[in-house]
Amino acid sequence: MKKSLLLVVALAILALPVRTTAQTETPKSLTLGLVAKAQSNAVFQAARRGAEVAAVDLGKKYGIAIKIDWRTPNDENAQQQADNIEQLVLAGANGIAVSCSDANKVTGAINDAVKNGVPVVTFDSDAPQSMRFATYGTADKECGELIMDELGKEMGGKGVVAILAGNQNAPNLQARAKGVRDECAKKFPGITILDTYYHKETPADAAAKVEQVMEANPQITGWAMIGGWPLFTKNALKWAPGTVKCVAVDALRPELSYLEDGHVNLLLAQQCYMWGYQSVTLLVDKIVNHKTPPAAFVPSPLILVTKDTLADYKKKLDVWMPE
Amino acid sequence: MTSRLRSLFHFQESGLILVIIGLGIILAIFGGTVPKRVVQTLPNGDIEPVMTKNAQGEEVPMVIMRNKFFNPQNLAQLAKDSSFIGIMAVGMAMVIISGGIDLSVGCVFALAAVLAANVLHYYGPTGAGSASPGLGLALGIATCLGVAALCGLINGALVVALRVHPFIITLGTMTIFRGIAFVVTGGQSVTDFPPMLQNVIKHETGEELYLVPSLVMLVVMGLGWIYLQRLAAGRRVFAVGGNELAARFSGIRVERVKLAVYVISAVCAGLAALMSLGYYGSGSSGDADGYELDVVAAAVIGGASLTGGRGSALGAMLGAVVLKMISSGIILLGIDQSYSKVIIGGAVITAVVMDKLNTWLTQRRLSRAAG
Repeated sequence: MKKSLLLVVALAILALPVRTTAQTETPKSLTLGLVAKAQSNAVFQAARRGAEVAAVDLGKKYGIAIKIDWRTPNDENAQQQADNIEQLVLAGANGIAVSCSDANKVTGAINDAVKNGVPVVTFDSDAPQSMRFATYGTADKECGELIMDELGKEMGGKGVVAILAGNQNAPNLQARAKGVRDECAKKFPGITILDTYYHKETPADAAAKVEQVMEANPQITGWAMIGGWPLFTKNALKWAPGTVKCVAVDALRPELSYLEDGHVNLLLAQQCYMWGYQSVTLLVDKIVNHKTPPAAFVPSPLILVTKDTLADYKKKLDVWMPE
Repeated sequence: MTSRLRSLFHFQESGLILVIIGLGIILAIFGGTVPKRVVQTLPNGDIEPVMTKNAQGEEVPMVIMRNKFFNPQNLAQLAKDSSFIGIMAVGMAMVIISGGIDLSVGCVFALAAVLAANVLHYYGPTGAGSASPGLGLALGIATCLGVAALCGLINGALVVALRVHPFIITLGTMTIFRGIAFVVTGGQSVTDFPPMLQNVIKHETGEELYLVPSLVMLVVMGLGWIYLQRLAAGRRVFAVGGNELAARFSGIRVERVKLAVYVISAVCAGLAALMSLGYYGSGSSGDADGYELDVVAAAVIGGASLTGGRGSALGAMLGAVVLKMISSGIILLGIDQSYSKVIIGGAVITAVVMDKLNTWLTQRRLSRAAG
């Protein structure tokens, strides 16, 4: 009896690949893979929500069921991203949106996906050498320049600035850091850039890094945070409000309290919800309408959030990420 | 025949093999089917779907329906994903059998990868040495494995000379190695290698089947098995891990054994780095971040005892396969990714318990037969 059972199971397994038959079908549903950098980063959770809302909106518009297949590593891991892209292709995804932790590492996987007929779009962090048909995100060098421009004005053109960066391998962060340095050299001769401080992209690691740097360098009078990781914690900034000027990228709900209490002078909100929404829109347009944007780079403008504009911005945030 | 089959399921890793078969059956049955689009490459290099007509006479893309888990491409992908951890796990198993631990393997991987990547980039299509890609490839491979061996030698020498627990030594060196990797690259990932490297390691066998990393893992496992089971040097590793004092009194040069296992472990990490360079086409200081825990988990799932004296190369490789099957299964079954760490952790414990149970049953059967 046991032998017969084993035989049946073995035959069933062996028969599985034989059941593959050629057939045709009209696409009534689409599965779109979403590979962000890290699940632990709140901005990508906003992107996920944007993608899911776009899936519903566009599904209604075109009369198709759109499913978002979220395949994001827990923490930043470019190799895992490349593997996830390969797995999405094998799982039959119709399109893929990626935010690249390391452009070089995922380029091969993106190209393989495209060669298999799966269109790929990147968001937030691009892979410019790959066969992706479009990229949506912040113009990073310009973002860095804007941070320094605003910070320089707040500091009255003099002082010592530290740059807080996250993953040292992310090309978008490198471009922003370069933007900060270039703008400083160009416009603010009275300001010295102390260094660029990298950290693991978690709020706790970022907050600890700021604390360490401030402890060792009390002469710092300005922070250019090219990502707002420490602001996801409470009481991470130990200085008295106004004594150190700070401009940071991103403006999600937990970060706003630092603006309210004066620890941060300006937040540059990336439209991270739109990363997901717009990526899905680009993919559906490509798959359903066979349309590609006129230029591969589709810019996502930054929103300047100050104490004065905070109320308006919060209304927008309520739509993007309802509490 | 029956007795042969029975003896097949009485060896040390049979529990793991049953786990793998069980997981495979579950994924094959519950994973469902997936459409694979049929595409063609046009003479101008564009890729487009092959079209056909449906029942209504409309032109639609042609697709092939197939089992999501049990298809050649998915199985090859699973083997490839397992290979990087699997190769390192064989080396780690030896360290653990000797009674030690090597937390630096992920960072040895990163350092070997970035230094070799710099050499390969120099001889790559955009580098100054582009005229000699063959020489570049040889130097790149030598750098990758040589740097890894040097890192292993440093680990081993520090463990032996300072007589400090290897956990502390390798915890320190892991930070140093990754730090050097970052200083060398300045945080940039290095790419543009001689195409020959990718042509070999990402060689396409059949339709989208990339088997080289998996084959290398099998070879490493085979060599590890021969070393541990068939060579006197390998048996000494078990002796040192089982009872270091007894091994010392029986004339085994314990320091030499320890040095050897750390070098082997690091060379395995270097080899995995080489596979990664060839497959993904780039190296960066962030490579293999956090791999050390996966590698230790694979070796332990594979039966290596953290108190030393027990473990195997085959078990370590199978442990890596189990880990990757679980993470692949979460995706195939459409389980929310947010729960992946919880599921993997639970499954690791379950796999170890099942393996222990199997070992206990085997020992009980043997003792009954003996007595």
